[in-house]
Amino acid sequence: MSESAITASNVNANEKMQSLLREAENLKTKLEEERQKLNDVNLSNIAERLEQIAYVNIKPRKVLKGHQAKVLCTDWSPDKRHIISSSQDGRLIIWDAFTTNKEHAVTMPTTWIMACAYAPSGNFVACGGLDNKVTVYPITSDEEMAARKRTVGTHTSYMSCCIYPNSDQQILTGSGDSTCALWDVESGQLLQSFHGHSGDVMAIDLAPNETGNTFVSGSCDRMAFIWDMRSGHVVQSFEGHQSDVNSVKFHPCGDAIATGSDDSSCRLYDMRADREVAVFAKESIIFGVNSVDFSVSGRLLFAGYNDYTVNLWDTLKSERVCLLYGHENKVSCVQVSPDGTALSTGSWDYTIRVWA
Amino acid sequence: MAANLQQQRSVNEQLRREVGVQRIQVSEACHAMMQYMMDHEADDCLLSGFNTQKVNPFREKNSCTII
Repeated sequence: MSESAITASNVNANEKMQSLLREAENLKTKLEEERQKLNDVNLSNIAERLEQIAYVNIKPRKVLKGHQAKVLCTDWSPDKRHIISSSQDGRLIIWDAFTTNKEHAVTMPTTWIMACAYAPSGNFVACGGLDNKVTVYPITSDEEMAARKRTVGTHTSYMSCCIYPNSDQQILTGSGDSTCALWDVESGQLLQSFHGHSGDVMAIDLAPNETGNTFVSGSCDRMAFIWDMRSGHVVQSFEGHQSDVNSVKFHPCGDAIATGSDDSSCRLYDMRADREVAVFAKESIIFGVNSVDFSVSGRLLFAGYNDYTVNLWDTLKSERVCLLYGHENKVSCVQVSPDGTALSTGSWDYTIRVWA
Repeated sequence: MAANLQQQRSVNEQLRREVGVQRIQVSEACHAMMQYMMDHEADDCLLSGFNTQKVNPFREKNSCTII
C-alpha cells in the first residue's frame, strides 16, 4: 500500500471509531433516560411504614481453627452440615460444622486458593486461585483426593471465584483476566467464555429461580453484569459503585442482586426495574466490603468488612440492624447455610466462625 | 485499530440490547420484592429465630445432665 493509501485508511478507521463512540454516548444517554422514566420511588420509601426489625438473636456458635494463614473462601455443603474452606496456606479443609472436626485436608501445589465450591451432589469440590486453574477433587480419603484430582480449566490470570451452575458436569469461573468461563468437567472443554468486563472479575453468583441460564458477575471495573449463559452476552449492566465490586449475590426472589464494594457500600439493584433501588452505607463505615449474602427470605443482608466486622442490614429499610463482632482481622467471606439456619464467616484471622 | 473497532462495535451492540430491555415501574418491582420477603419471613431462622433453641443444630450442648 502506498503511504497515501495507508493514511486514507487510517482516516477512514478513525472516522468509523469516532462515529461508534458518538453512538455509544447516545445509547448511554438513552439508557439512562429509559431507566429514569420508571423511577417513581425507592425501596426504603415503600418500606417506610413497615415495622423495624426489633431484635435479631444471632450468636457466635462455633469457631473452626486449623488454617495456618488467611481464610479466603468457604462454601456450605448441600448437606447443610459441612463447610469447605480454602486458604492462603494452600490448603483445603472440609469441616463438620456441628462438631468443628476437620474431616479432610488437602494441600495444593499453590498458595492463595481464592475460591472453592461444592458440587450439587456434595461429592466433589472445585477450587483454584493464584495457579490460574480450576481443579476438581472427589471427596474421599485424603490420599485418594490428591491422587484423583483433575484440572478442568485454565485462565490467563488468577481464578477468583467458581460455582457449579447446574450439575456436577459444569463449572463457571471468574478470573483476574477480566473474563468468566463455563467449563465441561469431564472433557475440560471451554463451553463458553464471557467477555465484557474491563477489570478483574471478583465474584459470580447464579440466579436461583430460573433454569440456571443467568448469572451475575462483579468486577474491579466497578460494574455488575447480568449474563445469558447460552449466548455469552451481557443482558444488563449496573453501575454506581465508586470502587471495585468484590461480591455479588442474587436476592432469593431472583429479581434483584446485591453488591459489596471497596467503596464501603453495598447496593441493591432490581433487574425488572433495571436500576439501583437501595444503598447500604453509613458515614461511620469507611472500610471496604468483601462479601455479601442474604438470609432465606432476603430481608437480612449480611456483609463482611475490612474493619473485622459483619454488618446486618435490613434490605427493605436500608438500615443497619446490628453488628457481629468476633473476628480479629478482615472478614473475607460470608455465607448463609442452604437451609438458612446459620451464617458462616471466614477471616484473615485464620478462622471460620458459625453464627446461628 | 481494527481490533479496537471490533471491540467498540460489540460494546455498542451490548448498549443497544440494554436500551431494549423491558422495564417495570420501580414501585411495582419493590412491592413484589417486599411481598416475597413477607411471604418467607416465617422460614427465615436468622431473622425470626428458632421456635425453640432445641431445633437449632448449632446451639451449645447443655453441659449439665440430670442424673
